[in-house]
Amino acid sequence: MNSLLSILGQSASSGCGSCGSGGGCCQSSGQPHHTHGHHAHEHHSHSHHGGCCSQSATSVRPDETRRGFMERATTLVLGSFTLTLLPMMSGDEKKEEPSQTPAAPPEKAAAPPDPAAAAKGVLYGFLIDTEKCTGAGKCLTACREENRVPEGNSRTWVERYTHFRDGRVQVDLVPESGFHGSTVPQYDPAEVAKSYFVPKLCNQCVDAPCNQVCPVHASITSPEGVELVDPDRCIGCGYCVQACPYGMRFMNPETNNADKCTWCYHRITKNEQPACVEACPTGARVFGRLDDPESDLSKRLASLRTQVLKEHLGTNPKLFYTSLSDEVI
Amino acid sequence: MSERISIFRDTRHLQILAVLIAAAGAGAFWVRGQLVPPDWGKSGPYRESALAQIASDPHILTADNKCLTCHESVHEERKDSPHVAVRCMHCHGNGHEHMKVAEKGDYKKPETPAAWDNKFPSKVDLFVTKDRAICLSCHMKVLGMPESFKSIDVAKHLEEQGAENVDSPDVCFECHTGHSPGIE
Repeated sequence: MNSLLSILGQSASSGCGSCGSGGGCCQSSGQPHHTHGHHAHEHHSHSHHGGCCSQSATSVRPDETRRGFMERATTLVLGSFTLTLLPMMSGDEKKEEPSQTPAAPPEKAAAPPDPAAAAKGVLYGFLIDTEKCTGAGKCLTACREENRVPEGNSRTWVERYTHFRDGRVQVDLVPESGFHGSTVPQYDPAEVAKSYFVPKLCNQCVDAPCNQVCPVHASITSPEGVELVDPDRCIGCGYCVQACPYGMRFMNPETNNADKCTWCYHRITKNEQPACVEACPTGARVFGRLDDPESDLSKRLASLRTQVLKEHLGTNPKLFYTSLSDEVI
Repeated sequence: MSERISIFRDTRHLQILAVLIAAAGAGAFWVRGQLVPPDWGKSGPYRESALAQIASDPHILTADNKCLTCHESVHEERKDSPHVAVRCMHCHGNGHEHMKVAEKGDYKKPETPAAWDNKFPSKVDLFVTKDRAICLSCHMKVLGMPESFKSIDVAKHLEEQGAENVDSPDVCFECHTGHSPGIE
C-alpha cells in the first residue's frame, strides 16, 4: 500500500497542480477528434492549449492517448486491489502450516514418530486391538455421557463383521447396551466362517479432508494433532460432514454445528484417557502419545503389525488397527 | 481542440482514484478487522481461544481412582480378579452427582454398608443391584467375541452349574461376586 501511494504521489507531483481546469478543457476538446491519428492529436494540443499542455508534452510521452491513460489507470486500480488483498493472502498462507505436521506413517507403525513432530510437542495416537473387542458397547455409553452426544448420533460406534461360508459379509451395528436384550439378528454359527468387532472413531488424519473444506476455518487441527470444531465459528454448512471419508462427522441437532469425535480433547489435555478408553473393560482401545517412544502406545505400535482405514485416500490417519480383514479396510 | 491526453488533465483523475483506492483499502482493513477474531492465527489458522474453550468441557465420567479414594476395600477385592479392568460405572452407574456431593466434603462415609440406607447421597445417580442383565451385558455369548473371553449361553451355563433359582435375576451371585467373580 505504501508503494502504491508513493507511485501516485510521484505522478501527481510531476504534473502541474494548477491544470485541473485545463484537464477538463482538453477532455471536451479532445472528444470530436478522437478518431484522428497521433499527429493530429499532437498538432491540436499544441495550438489550442499553449503553455499548459506543451509543458505536459515535455514531461510525458508525447504520444499519450486516452487509451494509454486508461491502460495505466486500470493497471493502477488492479494493482491497488491486489495490494489490499495481500494481508488476507498472507493470512491464508498460515493455513498450510498444520498440514505439514508429520506423524508416524501408517502401515509402517514400527517406524518411530517423526522427530520434527516430537520437537513440536505432544502428538497423540490411537490403537484398536480388534482381537480384544467383545462388543459390550461400554465405550458407546461412556462417549455419549461424557460428550453429551444427542440420541440418534454417535461419535463412536462398533461394527460387527460376519463372514459367512458362502462368501457374504454382513455388518451389524453393536447396540449401545450390549447384545443382551437387543434385536440384533443371530446367525447360525455353522454358517459363519469368522466374525469380529471393529470399533470406529475419528481417525484424526494428518491430512484431514474435513479440515480442508471448511469455509470459515472452524475446523481446527490442534497442536496435538487433534481435529476439532470451533463451536463459535461453525456455520453449520455441513461440508465437512460430506468430506470425511470415514463418516465420522455429523450435524448436532442441538447446536446445529458440525460435531465429531475429539478423542475427548478436554480429557487428554489434562492427562486423562478418552472416555471410550477409560470405559473399555478389555483394553481393546489404546490411547497414547506417538511422540514418546516410551509410551505404551508407541511400544505396541513398534511390536505389532498395524493397519489404517482407507489408506489409499492418503489421509494418514493416526488411528491404527491390528489384524483387520481386507473387507474392513 | 486537443486530442492529446496530458498528465495535467490526468492528475485530477489520479487524485480521485487515489482517494477511492485509499478509502477502499481502509474500508477493507476495517471490515477485515471486524470479521477476524482478535486471537486469530496465533497458533494456526483458527481462533486460538477455541482450544481452551473445547478443553474446558466438563468431565462427566468418573474415573475409578476417584471412586477408590473412598471405597478402598473394593480395590482390595478386585485387584487380582479379571474384573480389575471393569469400571465402577459399568455396574454402578456413572455417579457424577455422587461425586459432586462427595467432593464437597460435607458427606461422611458410613462405617458399614448397612448404614448407607437412605443416606446414600444422590442415590438416583448410582445403583447397587444384583441383576443378571448387568453381567450379561458383557458376558452373553455373541458371535464375534474373542475365544479367550469368558462368555456364556445363559440357559446352558445355569443347567451345567446346577443353579437353584434359574429365573431369578440374581442367579449369577449364587456362585460369583461382582468385584471378584472367579471361582476359587
